[in-house]
Amino acid sequence: MKMLRHLAMRLLVTAPQMLGIVAVAFFLLKLIPGDPAPMMLGPLATQESVAKLRAEMGLDQPLPVQFLAYLGRLLHGDLGRSWQTTNTVLFDLAQRLPATLELVSLSLLLAITIGVPLGLVAGRWPQGLAARAASAYQIVAGALPDFWVALVLIFFGYTVLQIAPAPIGRLDIAVLAPDAITGSYVIDALLVGDFDAMRSAAAQLVLPVLTLGLLYGVPILTMTRATVQRLNETDFIRFAMAKGLSPMRVSRHALRNALPTLLTVIGSMYGTLIGSIVLVEVVFAWGGAGQYAVSAVLNADLNAALGFVTAAAVLSLGIHLAVDLVILMLEPQ
Amino acid sequence: MSEPATAPAGKAPSRAAGRSKGGLWLFVCRRPVFLAGYLIVAVMAWLAVFAPLLPLRSPVDADAGAYLVAPGATHWMGTDAAGLDVLSRTLHAPRIDLAIALIATLSAAAIGGTLGAFAGLWSGAGALRGAAAAVLLRTGDIVQAFPVFALALVLVAVLGQGTTAVVIAITVVNVPLYLRLMHAETMALRRMAFVEAAQIAGAGDVYLLRHHIVPNASATLLSQMSTHAGTAVLIASGLSFIGAGVRAPTPEWGSMIAMGFQNVVTGQWWPSMFPGLALALTVFGLGQVGASILAYADPRERQRPSRRAWRAFVAGSR
Repeated sequence: MKMLRHLAMRLLVTAPQMLGIVAVAFFLLKLIPGDPAPMMLGPLATQESVAKLRAEMGLDQPLPVQFLAYLGRLLHGDLGRSWQTTNTVLFDLAQRLPATLELVSLSLLLAITIGVPLGLVAGRWPQGLAARAASAYQIVAGALPDFWVALVLIFFGYTVLQIAPAPIGRLDIAVLAPDAITGSYVIDALLVGDFDAMRSAAAQLVLPVLTLGLLYGVPILTMTRATVQRLNETDFIRFAMAKGLSPMRVSRHALRNALPTLLTVIGSMYGTLIGSIVLVEVVFAWGGAGQYAVSAVLNADLNAALGFVTAAAVLSLGIHLAVDLVILMLEPQ
Repeated sequence: MSEPATAPAGKAPSRAAGRSKGGLWLFVCRRPVFLAGYLIVAVMAWLAVFAPLLPLRSPVDADAGAYLVAPGATHWMGTDAAGLDVLSRTLHAPRIDLAIALIATLSAAAIGGTLGAFAGLWSGAGALRGAAAAVLLRTGDIVQAFPVFALALVLVAVLGQGTTAVVIAITVVNVPLYLRLMHAETMALRRMAFVEAAQIAGAGDVYLLRHHIVPNASATLLSQMSTHAGTAVLIASGLSFIGAGVRAPTPEWGSMIAMGFQNVVTGQWWPSMFPGLALALTVFGLGQVGASILAYADPRERQRPSRRAWRAFVAGSR
């Protein structure tokens, strides 16, 4: 019952935020100098056809009416058309988002596997060797640009050592994509039993996931470390240690306590990563939503660019909501 | 992200109590990582101003005969595919990269900080002011709901690609961070005896901000500005990397890395590696300067940061 009330409250807060996101997107659309109608029709368009298109697009209406119409279209999932692909933006995004989400999810998974254990150890023994290594890692990886790290990894992995595949997207040229089931090539290939495709998809994932995982392990490490260090001074951890619990058990207690904060950070990172992944997608020619957004930006395909950023914002808002609910389940008080 | 000290009266003596003797300079000199950060920032700032005075080749005039020359005696960092000297371009790049970061960070701090301070003073105040504060904070929340780089990218698309658009984009994505920061600082300072005393004595909002809030929040603000300047360099070079920011032949790290991209795959690493190193060093330096200010001003164990603070930390970290 309490859960339901909290859920209702959260949704009540989220609704105006969604509206705000749409308002920002609309504002950005209106910020564009020039009239989109003649731009869409090209330089040879007649006066009448421009006027007709303007009326069709509702551009002759006052701004509030235009905003309501925009909102209505968004509620129907209509993000407009991309002139580059001539598809609807929703269709394009639906096709490309799985690639992005696969990369983001796996990278975060790696970031967690690096950040959490290292943070636990470094926080537990702040003077130890692991803590010093963690500090060095935080300082170095915290300053590296992700697109440059991607290039360095390509140089060593592909060019010099020739153990990684070429940065040409999600599959080798000779391999056909498996039927889309979940959107993740690795899982889909596994489901249909196409092991060549699975191996190729997994190999292509290694370098981008390594890039993002190594760099985004830093915020997780910082957070885990700070939380554990603070917990060291709390009575219940002191008690657990005094009781003679093994370091493993104490760490488990600490981790359980750090979990809400950890989930918050991971949730935020998921949202941030959908934006930051853009550059890494470009380097690896990943063909996800990020690369789509870049080509949209470079070619003034504004529906597509706005569609991407709106989808990203809505996604990260949804993730925040989900994280809040999970935390509520963990800590009912 | 830091919470201010809890119980000082006057100009925050509890912070001063933790300071080492000899001021910030000695504090930094005793910590090699901080010192390295300051030196790097100093060198980059010097280059931003004086790089044209150095006896370097031209950063923009290509030598058609020198195609992808490996690093050596004539070209210390080699040349790129257009025959441009990588060393000269790498050293000339701080001019545009630091200028973008500086202008964007200062504007964001000025706009966001002012709005945040007023929001802090007004939160919970009378109906109209309270509502204004709430609107400001909610607007900041909505802007922060967008992933940072995605928003910057779309802003550049909307404003038309180029350096000005990059500056505006970075400013916009940073404003909510300062709004949030100054709001929190002001809310905490507002409860302190010396601010309340000034208020009772009849001090207006502007007086309070200038004489009590800003001076006491300055350490946190400065530290964040330095770190965010580093992030700003990352965003600016990222936008230039995909071709939406600073254009070639203007020497800029991100666009240099992009120009050398194809060469890296075929084995000529130098056109991309050197600018990337310079970029990473700069971000590292600015981050350490920020960290040193924070550590100097408030060396005590910081209070438990809220979940919102951690979200802001993630948003500001990259």
